[in-house]
Amino acid sequence: MISVGIDIGSTTTKMVILDKEQGILAQKLVATGAVPGETADELFRTLLDSVSLTPEQIAIVATTGYGRHLVDIGDSVMTEIKACAAGVQYECMEAEPIRTIIDVGGQDTKVITLTGDGQIEDFSMNDKCAAGTGRFLEVLAQKLELSYDAFVEEALKSDTLLHMSSTCAVFAESEVVGLLARGEAKADVAAGAHDAIAGRIASMIRRTGGSSRFAFVGGGSLNGALLRAMEEHLNAEVTVPASPQLVVALGAAVVGAKKVEKRDASVSEGGG
Amino acid sequence: MKNEPQFDERYRLSPRHVDNPGVEKRSRAVLHQQQQHLDRLRNRPRNIAYFEHAVRGENISDAAPLVGYFCNMTPPELIRAAGGVPVRLGCGNAALVQTGEEVLAGDICPLAKASFACVVDERSIASRCDAFVLPTSCDAKTKLGEILEDYRPTFMIHLPPEQNHELFLKETVKSYQRLEAFLGGVTGRKVSRKALLHAVRQGREQAGLVRRLQEIRSECPGALSVQDLFLMIQAASSGVDMEEWCRECRNVITEIEGYSPERRRFRHRVVLTGAPAIWPNFKPLSLLEECGADVVADTLCSGTESCYDPVVIDETGHKSLLRALSLRYVFASPCPAFISQGKRLNRVINLVDEFTADAVINYSLRLCQLFDAETYRLSQVLKQRQIPFMNMRTDYSLEDIEQLRVRLEAFLETLEEI
Repeated sequence: MISVGIDIGSTTTKMVILDKEQGILAQKLVATGAVPGETADELFRTLLDSVSLTPEQIAIVATTGYGRHLVDIGDSVMTEIKACAAGVQYECMEAEPIRTIIDVGGQDTKVITLTGDGQIEDFSMNDKCAAGTGRFLEVLAQKLELSYDAFVEEALKSDTLLHMSSTCAVFAESEVVGLLARGEAKADVAAGAHDAIAGRIASMIRRTGGSSRFAFVGGGSLNGALLRAMEEHLNAEVTVPASPQLVVALGAAVVGAKKVEKRDASVSEGGG
Repeated sequence: MKNEPQFDERYRLSPRHVDNPGVEKRSRAVLHQQQQHLDRLRNRPRNIAYFEHAVRGENISDAAPLVGYFCNMTPPELIRAAGGVPVRLGCGNAALVQTGEEVLAGDICPLAKASFACVVDERSIASRCDAFVLPTSCDAKTKLGEILEDYRPTFMIHLPPEQNHELFLKETVKSYQRLEAFLGGVTGRKVSRKALLHAVRQGREQAGLVRRLQEIRSECPGALSVQDLFLMIQAASSGVDMEEWCRECRNVITEIEGYSPERRRFRHRVVLTGAPAIWPNFKPLSLLEECGADVVADTLCSGTESCYDPVVIDETGHKSLLRALSLRYVFASPCPAFISQGKRLNRVINLVDEFTADAVINYSLRLCQLFDAETYRLSQVLKQRQIPFMNMRTDYSLEDIEQLRVRLEAFLETLEEI
């Protein structure tokens, strides 16, 4: 059985084609653009073409993410919280179970805690502002006149802890101006910004009751400096799955496949 | 009883009115948006327009003095018995918060700010009121009284912090007696025992009708949207003629008693608790319905809590009736204004049981410290009893609606197996 998961996020749209036996057949990430519905349609067609599949061969298309209600190609809609939990568990099932998932995306940060047998126990999201999200770091990189990659590189070089008190993307700008005027090195300011965000996320994890083993997903997990800062604040190792930005789309495909199986089972029971 | 002044005359300020066309325009847009939301509901009662007009203050009779009031601890029965028309002042218009902010401090809840904005707007119903009555139910209300006094004669009902009626009933009855004297000064009519008894009986009838609506909705939540239920309840405190309201309400009951759903309903049943959702801020209600949950019961003071239990009449003497009102409105109140959460926790747990709910949602209004502070114990107590719980912390604005939608849908998903 082949299922498809599409995660329509605020910045990027991700799709995964999953075969029950063979695993992931194809996956792709594109910019969401202004019309999420069209982007998802286009992505759906081209990715199926790339592995020579037709829509009729797909058992279920599950959509998730902020645009989950905006597209009409889905057969099943679910929140990214549920999809994320399923995707991470699919990717990290070989080792000791994941108990806490940290998802740092373009416009929000989520923490999901799981029970020992993989059920969602609790979750929390940042409030209605950019504090604690990937967007905060992007704004600061611009302020330091660095590309995002260079900003992360600089932060990894620093071994001085510079305390930044603000995690608000707007107030932090003025704080950075002050630090640079004081003659602090860009590398240290960059590290301080990562530390401030990591501290905020760690506090969110503690409030939600998160415990080890930790998984880190979403665009934010590609940032090595943020990963390092998270590990420091949590005083634990943090696992990043193979394709951390695609894990939610993968989870949607996993849950979709389960739904098809459950439906089939109830139909055959009913028939027998 | 003598009408003792509560405020210091020497420091009275002259009333300040605000005319802000930008806010006025946005507030009309908010009303329009909410109306569109309601128009999209399925299965609305045929006579719902009556309640829609009422809640916008279009059915107010100008024959008698209007008494604007806040909170469930102010018995509308007393106002009616004194010959006044009770009009509840709470306002949920997001646009009006800005006006309130310009006069009151910034860190006061949106309810106080928006409601106050109505008072300073000369076109509003609040500014047509002849007097105001409010209890000391939170810091914002306690301090709002003196500000309102600049505009109209205002009376503050002194609440005991402890809901122990053996110790504090006398004090509350005395406060209600002072309120009677105050109202007498406004309407020029003394509260008679007969008029009070009539008003209490009318209140009991209203409570009975709301109870019946709840029974039907519990059996068959598709029969009436919780938004329409709230609309009907809030219409009752918008200065309408009570007999007319009861008649219209009976028509709704007859209509929805005949409703039969096409197929079984699989939506999750939730109990809603927390801060008041007041017209036109039905955001928590519409969001819950859109995400696929049925609110089968609530403890909101702007919802069925205002008529959850009828006033119990043991004796019909004047003072006995005041005692009965105190016991109902103050000593049985689940409001976080009191030092123990016991009443509210009991109510929530009982409602989950009585209405076979799957979960509890707490609507925590930003800047209401009392509700905020109660959230911890509420969440822990429900956890101990294995009742799924979610806290929805938000304010009047619509900017966080998508985040809230994800949270709510994810929460509802956790109630399912797949």
